[in-house]
Amino acid sequence: MALFQIFDPTARPTPIGIDLGTTHSLVAYTVDGRPECVLDCDLNPLLPSVVHYLQHGGVMVGTEGKGKAALHPRETLVSVKRFMGRGADDPETRRLGPYDFAMPEPGQSNTVRFKVHGRTVTPVEVSAEILRALRTQAEGKLRTLGGAVITVPAYFDEAQRQATKDAAKLAGVEVLRLLNEPTAAALAYGLDKGRTRGTFAVYDLGGGTFDVTILSLDDGVFQVRSTGGDAQLGGDDMDRLLAEWVFGHLEIDSAQAAPGLVRAVLDAARTAKHDLTDRPDTVIAVDVDGVTFERSIRRTEFEDIVRTVIARTTPAVKRALRDAGLRPDEIDGVILVGGSTRVPAVREHVQSLFGQEPLSDIDPDQVVAFGAAIQANLLAGDGAKDDALILDVIPLSLGLETMGGVAEKILPRNTTIPAGRAQQFTTYADGQTGFEVHVVQGERELAADNRSLAKFTLRGIPLMPAGAAKLEVTFRVDADGMLTVTARELNTGIEQHIEVTPSFGLTGDDVERMLLESYEHAESDLAVRQLRERITDAERVIAATEAALRVDGDLLDEDERAELDGALKALREAIAAQDGKKVHLRTEGLDRATHPLAERRMDRAVQHAMRGRAVQEIEDTVRDRPEHPHLAASYAKDMESEKETR
Amino acid sequence: MTDPFDLLGVARRFSLDRAALEQRHRDLSRTLHPDRYVQAPPGERRMALDRAVAVNEAFRALRDPLTRAEALLTAHGLSVGDADRPSQALLLEVMDLREALDEGRRTPAKVTALLEQVRARTKSEENLLAAVFDGETPPDAAALARARDALVRLKYFRRFEDEADDALDS
Repeated sequence: MALFQIFDPTARPTPIGIDLGTTHSLVAYTVDGRPECVLDCDLNPLLPSVVHYLQHGGVMVGTEGKGKAALHPRETLVSVKRFMGRGADDPETRRLGPYDFAMPEPGQSNTVRFKVHGRTVTPVEVSAEILRALRTQAEGKLRTLGGAVITVPAYFDEAQRQATKDAAKLAGVEVLRLLNEPTAAALAYGLDKGRTRGTFAVYDLGGGTFDVTILSLDDGVFQVRSTGGDAQLGGDDMDRLLAEWVFGHLEIDSAQAAPGLVRAVLDAARTAKHDLTDRPDTVIAVDVDGVTFERSIRRTEFEDIVRTVIARTTPAVKRALRDAGLRPDEIDGVILVGGSTRVPAVREHVQSLFGQEPLSDIDPDQVVAFGAAIQANLLAGDGAKDDALILDVIPLSLGLETMGGVAEKILPRNTTIPAGRAQQFTTYADGQTGFEVHVVQGERELAADNRSLAKFTLRGIPLMPAGAAKLEVTFRVDADGMLTVTARELNTGIEQHIEVTPSFGLTGDDVERMLLESYEHAESDLAVRQLRERITDAERVIAATEAALRVDGDLLDEDERAELDGALKALREAIAAQDGKKVHLRTEGLDRATHPLAERRMDRAVQHAMRGRAVQEIEDTVRDRPEHPHLAASYAKDMESEKETR
Repeated sequence: MTDPFDLLGVARRFSLDRAALEQRHRDLSRTLHPDRYVQAPPGERRMALDRAVAVNEAFRALRDPLTRAEALLTAHGLSVGDADRPSQALLLEVMDLREALDEGRRTPAKVTALLEQVRARTKSEENLLAAVFDGETPPDAAALARARDALVRLKYFRRFEDEADDALDS
């Protein structure tokens, strides 16, 4: 889907990178390969991730919206990212905060809903407002946008990723790729310093999420070795603990406090936290019913209060190192990401975990957006062979519920994406005609303890004795980390294919409806928009086909070439005639006609890659290996380092 | 599934150079990764995705000695599955190890010692696999049967190592 607006058809649209953060969001782009942030009118790159809903429709986003939080705490949504992809009954909704939540009505999907001025909004809609504001900001600077890379915490699960994509769709932002935040940061660091190899750890403590990622850089390929974290741990938790401490001194039960006071105390806590970054003490001041409460706090007191939050990052770091098969001293550099890493106690903690001073020469608030912009630029380019490449992983194991409620892992955590695997199952009862497929995500032994992503039933299996049916379930995760599951009965070929719509997410219908409801699209003529999108798609396929023919036209014989030329001509005629339906059909036709060419081009590219230096190296090393038993000794040494890396 | 050795163009052996394997994986990823096909027509994108998935799967299979041994047995026409029965001796050995782990769970030094012990056992099974698959002549039926038994033992040791690692974490 192409939704960018066209001002000057000859200008190359600028791809953008978006860091959709818990506390604030940024949009960046590249100039000659170097990243820059889009600045607002005050020359500030940070847009507070705050959306204020006005009484009679309309929103105020960013600093303006933030200014409304104290007076309108329930109508001003702060840190909405913490609620993305969460169920209405999620524990997150019961934590300290000023919001009023609505439970889903019958027939509504089980997602968090905020009550705002007598209506409800979902986190996806709130995030879409933030993305829309960023888009507007970017268009002001760059005119024509060419698709976006949006970052997500590495530890975001399927539901949270889908929610982010839905928000982009609502905001009319074309998503080139979802990119994991720590990987984005590493990309910015790796390319900035012209480094070509090394092993890095990224410690990313944001407002609401914690990620740790271990990755290695080799010849411009960033390969993630392991990732871990906590999707609900961040600077917000420090604010909350400090706010509870303030409530304690006020002798007020925070659970009974008015939403306005909760907001005010949380804000005062955050300000104090920021003050204590470079001062040994500060004063927390809150206005309570017209009386100002003041109390001084020393940094050491603050550190005692938030120690538990910082300590909660330790197990994830240790596990990530173990999963990567590395000791802390094997890490060449530790990259700090996220505003919360400004807290001195966090830095000290990181230093003690890795035994080295962390790197922070790129602004930890901007580094993720920089990486996203670099990736967007790479994706929008022509895929030159020596461009940097990211090989990321899935953060959480994906599996199925099997007999006895046990979760069987099909794709374990830290599997490189894109990934796919098929597993066979059989029926356990005679004459069983249906087979329930329950897809779960997580590391726990029992399916019930993991996150349930989807349930569907493969039906119509003919009567067979137990164990005779052969069911094959295929998991496929694309480069965005999105899962598709296919189930097939092998004897009959009965098949079901689902894009996993997480149980806590919005359905495709929900998103379509919201799209129609949003003022922007209701005003525009749907048919015109559709025609424009189809023509854009068609032109893309034409351009790609022509480029392929220029380089590898020799791979086709005369007949094949004639067929392809015919399909190209037919599609151009449909575009000239502005016939949307024909454009769509003939785009598909051209796509089909290019398959032989695409196949052979890929074969050629693979052969080329295999013929390169690597073949020689592999053959040499195999030939040079001393024979057994001496081999066993040197080999055993390899195993030692290898075993832990699996 | 296509044979992972063929797909990555590496010799069908148990011992292999890990750095070279990783290099090959990177070279193929540069060619086939979906990032390289963002601007390509949908059909070509799907095709590249399929191949990138296959390459990643092959890499995963060959990177880990356990799955590499599985791939070698499959390539020699032996079915490997959960049906492989452990021997009585293996069951007893693992049972003893489990008991020792349960008793020593609270003492990291004891768990570490058990891990070392099992890793040594793993290493000797891996040497056995290298002897079967990396000789001048292709393995005969008896050698393949020995390799399969070694693989079953490896699987049990691996499971134990995972449990011991978890015990160290908690």
